[in-house]
Amino acid sequence: MTLRSRFLGTSLLVIVIALAARAQSLPQVSLNADNLSPRPIEQLTGTNITRNYSMAWHAMALALEQNRPDLLNDQFTGFAKDHLSQRIADQRRNGLRVQIIDKGHHVKALFYSLDGGAMQLLDDAQIEVQVFDGSRLIYSDDAPHRYLVLMTPGADRWYVRDLERAPDKER
Amino acid sequence: MKRLLPLVLTVTTLILLAVSWVQAGGLKRHAIFSAATPEEAVQALMADIQARNWDRAFARLDPSNDVEKAAFIRDIAGTDGSLRTYGSLQSFDVWPQHADQNQAVMRVRMRWSTAVGPLDDVRDLTVRRDGALWRVVWPKPNLPKVPPQVMAVNYLRWDVIGNETSQPWGAQSVDSPQVRITSMNAVERPDRVVVMGEVENEDTVPAYVNVNATLLKPDGSAIDQEGSFDLISHTLLPKQVSPYRIDFPGIRISQVKSVRMDARALLVPASADPVIAVADQAMSKDALGRNVLKGDLLDQSGETVNISQVLATFYDSSGKVIWVSNGYVDQALLPQIATPFSVDVPDDVVTRMKNYHVLVNHYIRTSS
Amino acid sequence: MVRGLCIYFVGLLGMGALASQSADAAALHPPPSVQAGQAFVIQTEGSGEGTFYLLGPGSAMKRTVQLGSDVSIAADEVTTAGRYQAIICAANDCTHTAFDVVSGPPARVSFFLHPSRVPVSTPNVIDGTAFVFDRYYNPVLHPAKVDFQIAPVSGAPFSRVDESERGVAWVRLGSSGKEGPLRVTADIGSAKEPRVIQQVAAEACHLRVKATPGKRGVVFETDPVRDCSGNPLPDGTIVSFTKVDASGMTTVDTPIKKGIALTELPVKGNARVTVACGVVLGNELSVAGNR
Repeated sequence: MTLRSRFLGTSLLVIVIALAARAQSLPQVSLNADNLSPRPIEQLTGTNITRNYSMAWHAMALALEQNRPDLLNDQFTGFAKDHLSQRIADQRRNGLRVQIIDKGHHVKALFYSLDGGAMQLLDDAQIEVQVFDGSRLIYSDDAPHRYLVLMTPGADRWYVRDLERAPDKER
Repeated sequence: MKRLLPLVLTVTTLILLAVSWVQAGGLKRHAIFSAATPEEAVQALMADIQARNWDRAFARLDPSNDVEKAAFIRDIAGTDGSLRTYGSLQSFDVWPQHADQNQAVMRVRMRWSTAVGPLDDVRDLTVRRDGALWRVVWPKPNLPKVPPQVMAVNYLRWDVIGNETSQPWGAQSVDSPQVRITSMNAVERPDRVVVMGEVENEDTVPAYVNVNATLLKPDGSAIDQEGSFDLISHTLLPKQVSPYRIDFPGIRISQVKSVRMDARALLVPASADPVIAVADQAMSKDALGRNVLKGDLLDQSGETVNISQVLATFYDSSGKVIWVSNGYVDQALLPQIATPFSVDVPDDVVTRMKNYHVLVNHYIRTSS
Repeated sequence: MVRGLCIYFVGLLGMGALASQSADAAALHPPPSVQAGQAFVIQTEGSGEGTFYLLGPGSAMKRTVQLGSDVSIAADEVTTAGRYQAIICAANDCTHTAFDVVSGPPARVSFFLHPSRVPVSTPNVIDGTAFVFDRYYNPVLHPAKVDFQIAPVSGAPFSRVDESERGVAWVRLGSSGKEGPLRVTADIGSAKEPRVIQQVAAEACHLRVKATPGKRGVVFETDPVRDCSGNPLPDGTIVSFTKVDASGMTTVDTPIKKGIALTELPVKGNARVTVACGVVLGNELSVAGNR
C-alpha cells in the first residue's frame, strides 16, 4: 500500500468517526422542575423528559436539514409532528432547507398533569438558524428563542406534541 | 476376466453397504428392534413411539391386557388438543426395577419436547416373556368419559369496544387497568438472582399484566432487565392475585443494590369462565424421588381446557413469597373430570415453606 | 483600449450601485401581529422583481413578487400560531423581518378525566385537565375561563370554574360514597366536552361465607359481597375459597355472580374453610363432612 492510499484511508476513517460522533451528539438540555405543579416530577421522569426533548431537537434539526419528515416519527406526535411535516413538505417543494446549530436549552417545567399524561415546558434556547434556497443563504439568525412545549408520554418515551415559539413576554 | 470384474464390483458394493449400515447405527437399531430382553422390548416400544409408528408400537404390546389401539394412541399421543398433542418424544431412559425369568418391571422416563419446554413422564411398565420375545403389558388407559349433559354458562364476560388509538388527542378513551405489585422478594439461587412476589388486579375490569424488573448497581445504572414471561398468570380478573417470578441467570446478589419493578397492564376482553378448582393439594415425592406439590384440577365449566398451567406460590411463616413453581399439564381438562397435576419444589423451599397457593392458567383452542 | 476598460469599470460600478440601491430598497412591513387564520398583507418597498419567502412553524412559502407592491397572505397560509419570518430577496441581497401569529379565540377543548374507574369515598382521586385551543388547534395562551360542570351519582350538579394558564386548566375531585357513573363536562363557552367515569365499589368489607349441604358435597356461599359503604362489588370480581381437610388443601377462584360467590366442594372429615377477595380476608368456617 502506498503512502498516499494509506493517508486517504486514514482520512476517510477520521471523517467517518467524526460523522458518527456528530450523529450521536445531542443538544444540551437542562431541566428546572422546582415548584412544578400540580404533580411533582419523579426523578426518572425528569431524566427521560430531558433526554427525549434533546433527542427531539436533534431529530428536528436533521429533518429540516434533509427535508425528511420520517426523522420526526420517533420523537414527535400530534400537532407538532403535523406542523413540522407540512413545513418540510413545503420546503422540499420550494427547494428550501434549514440548518440549525443548537447551542443548548434551559427548560423550565411549568405544568405536570395529576395523571402524568402531559407536561408543559418553557424552553429558553440558544439557536442559530440558517435558511438556504438551493445553495443560497437567504436568512441567518443567531439569537435566543423561547418555546412553549407540550410533551406527552408514549409506550417507552416522552413525545413532543406541541412546540410553539412563545411571545418574548412569556415568563 | 469378463465375469470377474462385475463380480468384484458387486461384492465391493455389498461390503460398502454393510459398512455404512453399521456406521449409521444399524446394529444398535437391530438390537433395539429385537426385543430379546425386557429392556430391549421397552426401548423398542419407545423407539416406535418416537417415530410415531403406532402400528408397530401397538404390535409390541402384550395382548393379554386387552388394550384397544385407539385408546393406546390417545394415552400416549394425547387428545382433545392437549399439550401432548403438540409434543414429540425427544428421548427416553429405561432401567429395571425388578425382573425374573418371565416377567419384569421396567421404569421408563420419557422426555417430551413441547412448545412450552420439556415435559417428563415417568412410568413403570410390566414386561412379559412371550416365547423368544418380551412384550410390554401396557396398562389399560382409564380415559375419562364425560357424560352427555347440558350446562348453562352464565359467567361474566368483558368486551372492549371503541378504544381506538386513532382518535384525536383528548377524545374519550378508557384507562388501562390498575394493577399493583403487592410483594417483591429478591433472592440468590445457585446460578441466578430471582425476583418474585405477587401482583393484584385492583381494578374492576380484566387486565393483561406483564411484570418486568431491572437490577440496579450502586451507581444506579442497570445490570440487566428481564420479564416474567410465563411465570405469571397474565390475564387477571378483578381482584385476582397472581405470583410472578423473574430469573436473572448468571448474576450474584452482591452485585445488586436495588430492584426497579414495573407492572404494565392492558385492557383486554376476557371471560370469567371456566372456573377450575384445585383439589387435594399435598406435598409428596414423585417416582424419581423429587419433592412435588400435587393435586387434581377440576374443570367446573362445560368447556374443555386444552392446555393448563399450574403456578404454585410458596410462603414462609411470615407470609413472604419464597418460591414460585410452574408446570404444564399435558392432558386436556375435560368438563367435570379431575385431572392430576404436579409441580417440582426445590428441597430448600420444602424445609422453609409454611403455606402455598395454586393458581391455574388456562388456554382454550378457539374453533375456526 | 484604456478608454474601453474605463467605460467597462464605470458600468460595473453603476450596476453595483443600482443593485445595492434595489437591495437597500427591498424592505418589508408586516402588521405587528396577526391572528391565526386571518388574511393580511405585507407591504414591500423597492423596485424590480424579488423572491418572497414566508417561513412559519407549519409552512415554508416561496413566490416571486414585484417589489413595491403588497404581498397578500391568504388566511389558510397562517393557521399555525408562532413566529414567522418574512424574507425578500432581490438580485444580491435579502432582507427579513419577523412577526407573531397569535391564537384566535377559544374554540376547542381537549379534556382528560382520569381514572376511568375510581373507588367510592376516596378524596382527591379524580383529576381533570383541559387544554384550550382555537379553531386551528393553536393553544390559547391568554387566560380563558373553563367551567368544569360536575354531575355526581347522587346529589345536585355543581361546577368549578378555573382560568386557563398558557392554555391549561385543571380540577381535582373526590369520589362520592355511591357507585355509578360520574359525568364531568369542560365548558369554554364556545365548546364543551363531556366525560363519564365509573365510581365503583372499594375493597370488600365484612366478607362472610356460610356452608349448606349440596348434592355432591358442601355448598360454600358468601353473603352479598359489598364494600364498607354498602356498594355491591361488581360481578366478575374474583373470590377465593380455600378448604383444608383430610384430603389436603383445595382452592377455587370463582367470580361473583349476582352479588355472591359460591362453589360446591366435597368434604372429607373436618374441614376448615376460608374466603378472600383480593387482599381482604373473610371469616373462617369449620365444617364436618363425610368420614
